[in-house]
Amino acid sequence: MTTIRELRVLPPLAVARLGGAAEPMDNYTAETDPTEPLGPRRLRPAPTFHVDPGSGAITGADTPATLRFTDGHGKVRPVAPFLEVWALTDDDVLRPLTVDLLRDNGLTPEDVRWRVRVGNHKIQRRTYDDNDRIDADTEWFSDHVSHELMGVCANFLEDKFLPLGHARYLKPTPEFPGIRLRFTPAAGHVYGSAYTDRPTDPDPNVVDFLYDATRGKWRGHADQPGDPRLTIPAQIYAGDDGPDGSWVSRGYLDDECDGLVHVALDVSGRELTAFGRIGAGPPAYAPDVIPIRTVADELDQALHGPAATGQDTLEQARAVAEEVLRRATETVRLMNTEVMNGNTVDGRVDAASTMVRQDTADTGRLFEPIMAPSLVDAAAVLALHRNVLAALRSGTAPWFADVLRDHDEVGDLTAKGRRKMPALMRGADGRSLALTRRQVNLVRLAARQAIFRQATDEPGGPR
Amino acid sequence: MRSRVHRHLASVVPELFEDRAPAMAVLSVAGPLDAEEERPVLPPEFNWRDYTVMLLHVAAEIEHSLMVQYLFAAYSMGGPQVPEGLRDDVRGWQEVILGIAKEEMGHLLTVQNLLTVLGGPINLDREDYPWGSDFYPFAFNLQPLSADSLAKYVVAESPSTWSGPEATAIKERAAKASGDYVNRVGALYGRVDAILKNKDFLPDELFHADTLPYQASWDEWGRGYTRGERGQDSGNVPDVKSPELLVFGVFSRDSARKALHEIGEQGEAPDADEQDETSHFNRFLGIYRALTRLPEDQQALVSRPVAQNPVTAHRLNESQPVGYAAAEVTTNPITDPVTALWGHLFNLRYRMLLTDISHAFLLSGPVDNGGVLTGRGALVHRAFAEMYNLRAVAGRLVERPLEEDVPGGLLAGPPFEMPYSLELPHHDHDRWLLQRDLVQASQLLTDQLLSTDPAGADDPYLVALRESDRRALEQIEHVLSRKGCTR
Repeated sequence: MTTIRELRVLPPLAVARLGGAAEPMDNYTAETDPTEPLGPRRLRPAPTFHVDPGSGAITGADTPATLRFTDGHGKVRPVAPFLEVWALTDDDVLRPLTVDLLRDNGLTPEDVRWRVRVGNHKIQRRTYDDNDRIDADTEWFSDHVSHELMGVCANFLEDKFLPLGHARYLKPTPEFPGIRLRFTPAAGHVYGSAYTDRPTDPDPNVVDFLYDATRGKWRGHADQPGDPRLTIPAQIYAGDDGPDGSWVSRGYLDDECDGLVHVALDVSGRELTAFGRIGAGPPAYAPDVIPIRTVADELDQALHGPAATGQDTLEQARAVAEEVLRRATETVRLMNTEVMNGNTVDGRVDAASTMVRQDTADTGRLFEPIMAPSLVDAAAVLALHRNVLAALRSGTAPWFADVLRDHDEVGDLTAKGRRKMPALMRGADGRSLALTRRQVNLVRLAARQAIFRQATDEPGGPR
Repeated sequence: MRSRVHRHLASVVPELFEDRAPAMAVLSVAGPLDAEEERPVLPPEFNWRDYTVMLLHVAAEIEHSLMVQYLFAAYSMGGPQVPEGLRDDVRGWQEVILGIAKEEMGHLLTVQNLLTVLGGPINLDREDYPWGSDFYPFAFNLQPLSADSLAKYVVAESPSTWSGPEATAIKERAAKASGDYVNRVGALYGRVDAILKNKDFLPDELFHADTLPYQASWDEWGRGYTRGERGQDSGNVPDVKSPELLVFGVFSRDSARKALHEIGEQGEAPDADEQDETSHFNRFLGIYRALTRLPEDQQALVSRPVAQNPVTAHRLNESQPVGYAAAEVTTNPITDPVTALWGHLFNLRYRMLLTDISHAFLLSGPVDNGGVLTGRGALVHRAFAEMYNLRAVAGRLVERPLEEDVPGGLLAGPPFEMPYSLELPHHDHDRWLLQRDLVQASQLLTDQLLSTDPAGADDPYLVALRESDRRALEQIEHVLSRKGCTR
């Protein structure tokens, strides 16, 4: 008999994407096209679980013929991730927890307990009022019905809650015997705040009023300058100009959330538990593009440390360098580089919220475009990035390592500092974006080493 | 130096013509260069402005030639034969030499700005090699990096005050490798400055400040190689400082003289402190010292066995040695058919680079914060893209055999052969036609390489280059249809 010793929830972190369509999004991968290596990644449909709405069982895992991101009626199909339970057994193997494995341990799927707790603390983060926290908790369950994640908040109007999606323990079947939970996020709506002591004007932006604007402070809130707890930049909520240059909240809230999925199982009198993390963010409107710095890069750095080590081979470093360049090319493709550089566009100076405006607002620096204004024609910048990517594929050492911004240079406001790569983009701290230290160090590893290789004699071999 | 320029050089280097008296004596009217107090004398067939433009053309060719030779040396470095213990050093030296080449690029652009402010045509031309220069201490010669070739670069960039046992030894080595070693580049700049500073020769109104939007600027060409901030670590190689790219806009007599002085100082370091590591001289000397400290057998392993002066195969009949104001140098025809195609691709992309630069000089940059953009930015980016392509193709060439079926024979290298002409058409529309011609020629070569070379059929670089050319062609067609880019 194989005894279950520990549990895991995999993936440990799953990001859902909001959407109002009834049918969740199909599975796909984004792949580089070998015949057009400079073009966008191609989306390729992948096997997708289909869940029977009535029973909660998986009924198939077909690969769709085509990919469609909406339901055809203007509603976005949500990305609804599956979380699987894996078991570490007494033979030191990590294996999927299945009906058979449960049975071997004298258990049934009904013995598996789940609990999902998520929150949306965006308002509380601004007002510092704990009554503004929005939380949802399914409590423990073992059935296969859909459990709504009802976000409740002390400052909500009576009987109102924020729908944050739902969680469902999928019913295992002989074809799909694994123990899984599916998190389906909310629709991606905007909700409003209404007064209880006076009339509230209708608002075409919101689908419903949830928040009691008379009891709570969110509607009408303004970030106070000088408060050290403010986000950088502050005032990043929907609002209107108020007195003395303040930015006054309209009292909006969204239905994003994040939290934990807990699983518990009593094995031979011992309670085993595990949890995974879930979150819900906006839909991927550019699904063939990978951002220049992702959570995966942060995790890679957390796992391996910021430096390139003896474990990192030249081939891996080269692959990182090419991937960085590919993502940069993809990013540039989506940017209005003229506006983001701070150029005067169609006669408009300071046409949008850009790093140029940020530099000026934060430090009083002259409003000065970042790159030479002549250089930022979007098509020309994109072509340049594609050319760099092409040259990199020759096996030549990545020579652009010295224009990468280091982590401790994000506040360098010299012309050189502002022009480092990635350029024109903001990091989480309100200053220029930098790659992770590990990304930079791997590109540099490739830059140092690439000249000592020789083309192999094999046709098409690596160079 | 082309003979049609050469015949005017008696005005600057009269000693070249001493054996041709009396016919040439009349041309040696300018007096010796080292007599600074002596008033420059105008040679026949010129006025002062035109004479200055002619001298700046010579300066441009020299900066261009230096850059190309340094690039060749840098590209030759590396290879699997470099011993493990030397690799960090070799990669560091390569980065230093590439940095110096980038700085020469800045000099070349600044000379174009000087030409532009005076209303002269820019000059990106240079003679094919091998050729002797009356100003340069050794013949133009594309050679892999070695102690001999380094000795030449050290001497070429040395200050006139450089002396002592080490100086003597290195000068002797350079002379043995290449003949005469008198450096006259500083003298050339000295002569230009002597004219610039005299209002009688060049009145103020000859400096056209309104040409600034057409001149190269550091903001467009600097790519982060900081003016005045050399000394920051470059990210590519630990302990190698970033190059300092000098690109000066010129709008007055003062700014013209300052530009000339700065590039003269960075390059040839007329009075520079020998300890000043910003000069090319000291950087080359540092590498020379480190290299010559190695045992001879290790020195030979620093660069790949690359042929000197590789030329594409259609020049088979011109492979005889050439001696001209220097030791003899030899060309090496690329006879391996696939390597020859790579060589042609290199030459074509080199032509595209030069075309992009001269085309950019004909379009104005924006005079405000970019309210109206022309195709200039796109051309500057295309020029940089070609530099990256040259680096990539050179990388292929230094790995490929020079000759077919000669196992263990010499490897090829980037030929840097000049195009038949660098003249650009008068109308901008026609210049974009030329741009289209060049891209289409590249497509032909790329297709040929992809189909001829069994190893190249899925060469990731060629596949990417083919796609990049296709996309470039789309942009050019867009411009030709007057829909975009140039607004």
